[in-house]
Amino acid sequence: MTELAFLGIAEASRLIAARRLSPVELTEACLRRIAAFDSQLDSFVTLTAERARAEAKAAEAAIMASGPASRLHGIPYCLKDIFDTAGIRTTAMSKLLADNVPTRDARCQEKLAAAGGVLLGKNATWEFAHGGPSWDVLFPPARNPWDRSCSPAGSSSGSAAAVAAGFAPATLGSDTGGSIRGPAAACGIAGLKPTYGLVSRRGVIPNCFSHDHAGPLAWTTEDVAILLQIIAGHDPEDPGSADVTIPDYSAALTGDLKGLVIGVPEKWLADEAPPAAATMAAFEAALDVCRGLGASVRPVTLPPLQQFDDSKRLIAVAELFTIHGADLRKRPELFGASLRYRIIAGGLVRAEDYIQAMRLRTDLARSLQAVLSTVDLLMLPTSEPAGKLEPVPPSSLFTRASFTTPFNVGGNPALSVCSGFDARGLPFSLQIVGKLFDEATVLRAGDAYEKAMPWRGKRPALQSGLAH
Amino acid sequence: MTDTPSDDEIVQLARQAGLVLPAEYVPELIEAYGHVRRMIGRISTARPHGDEPAHVFVPSVFLPGKE
Repeated sequence: MTELAFLGIAEASRLIAARRLSPVELTEACLRRIAAFDSQLDSFVTLTAERARAEAKAAEAAIMASGPASRLHGIPYCLKDIFDTAGIRTTAMSKLLADNVPTRDARCQEKLAAAGGVLLGKNATWEFAHGGPSWDVLFPPARNPWDRSCSPAGSSSGSAAAVAAGFAPATLGSDTGGSIRGPAAACGIAGLKPTYGLVSRRGVIPNCFSHDHAGPLAWTTEDVAILLQIIAGHDPEDPGSADVTIPDYSAALTGDLKGLVIGVPEKWLADEAPPAAATMAAFEAALDVCRGLGASVRPVTLPPLQQFDDSKRLIAVAELFTIHGADLRKRPELFGASLRYRIIAGGLVRAEDYIQAMRLRTDLARSLQAVLSTVDLLMLPTSEPAGKLEPVPPSSLFTRASFTTPFNVGGNPALSVCSGFDARGLPFSLQIVGKLFDEATVLRAGDAYEKAMPWRGKRPALQSGLAH
Repeated sequence: MTDTPSDDEIVQLARQAGLVLPAEYVPELIEAYGHVRRMIGRISTARPHGDEPAHVFVPSVFLPGKE
């Protein structure tokens, strides 16, 4: 793996600090790769190449003058196209926002820019981070770099595809029911949904206020830790923001799991939503690796998956309708069919039912935190490996069991890392869930697992000149 | 929830919510509402009066200068 664009944040920042790598050179390598291959993947909806070149030159000059201001200084990154970027179109893939140019950056973008990062552009998502994949919205859906006929999952689709393809070493996504972890799993990268409130959502177009999280995606957990360090922290402009002390996440990466107790929700995996045999075999193999790194593993019992899904989906459909009701009443034809189906009945949800769903959320969150008080981490597959990129019945959002949604309901930190490859060459995934605000232990586990395994040495093979 | 509403009743409920849809979207409203009703049916249970929902109102968040 010798391509410059495949350098992760940690390695690139070391080389930049040692003045052995120029931010301009790194940025040009990413732009060249995007130019050569993104017509196959559609991972970017807006490319800000000239701005990136200017930011890279400025970073280079500043670093030459006084050294790097942060570990992101001079490193290229991209953003899911629901993060507001001042002066740069922010569409959420929706025809309703085709001409939306924010005048102010999202808080996360302010922090990445202040850290000296180089913005390459905006990534494809599902419409308003909820409905997809869709072919009747503003841009085509992103494709999976491991197999262009497959889905990168959603909704941070383009973000995950771009990192896996080596277009950018860093990106941010959002996660309301699994939209960081699902694409990270499908594309074989690391993606973290932080604890609710740890990362500001100010300036991130909402999906469902009560379950929305912003978070980082990168090739490795080590890089995710670097990004989280930059974007975590209290924001008085986000009413859900938590005022907590931010630890040194990179310092937590010890490379072992000594003394940690891992809980496995066996009933979910055995009875309620059994994964495919190959997925379970990959998961069991990952648990064996964790045992070898010093952890112990034991079964735990969590409330039924269906309850988590019902609570979140009822709350979401009501909140989505509240956000989009005015447009749905006036111009329903501008919505993609998938999103419209998923929100159209939200106007018929009674306040009583919304509040009952919120009461159920209280019960579920208490149960989840109680179980997590008896173990250090939970582990389970994030999802099945990627399926074909094709229209799915929009009703699937209401019917398909999710291994990611429970941790939006509870608000817990949850990381997805690559845990091997299936017979088709598509990634398996391991989900690592922690106690509230204990991202450090989650990242420690993900990093130790990744470094014990060979999976980070394999990248998708893309061929130039192809177009779909 | 009460008995399953007819398609016409669902359209009427939508009208009461201010949602007067073109006819082409009515079938998806009816199908989607079926899923919503099934979810509501599964979560509906008798609860003590004092059961708090997962809303937490923290008034200090909205002090002047916080936005």
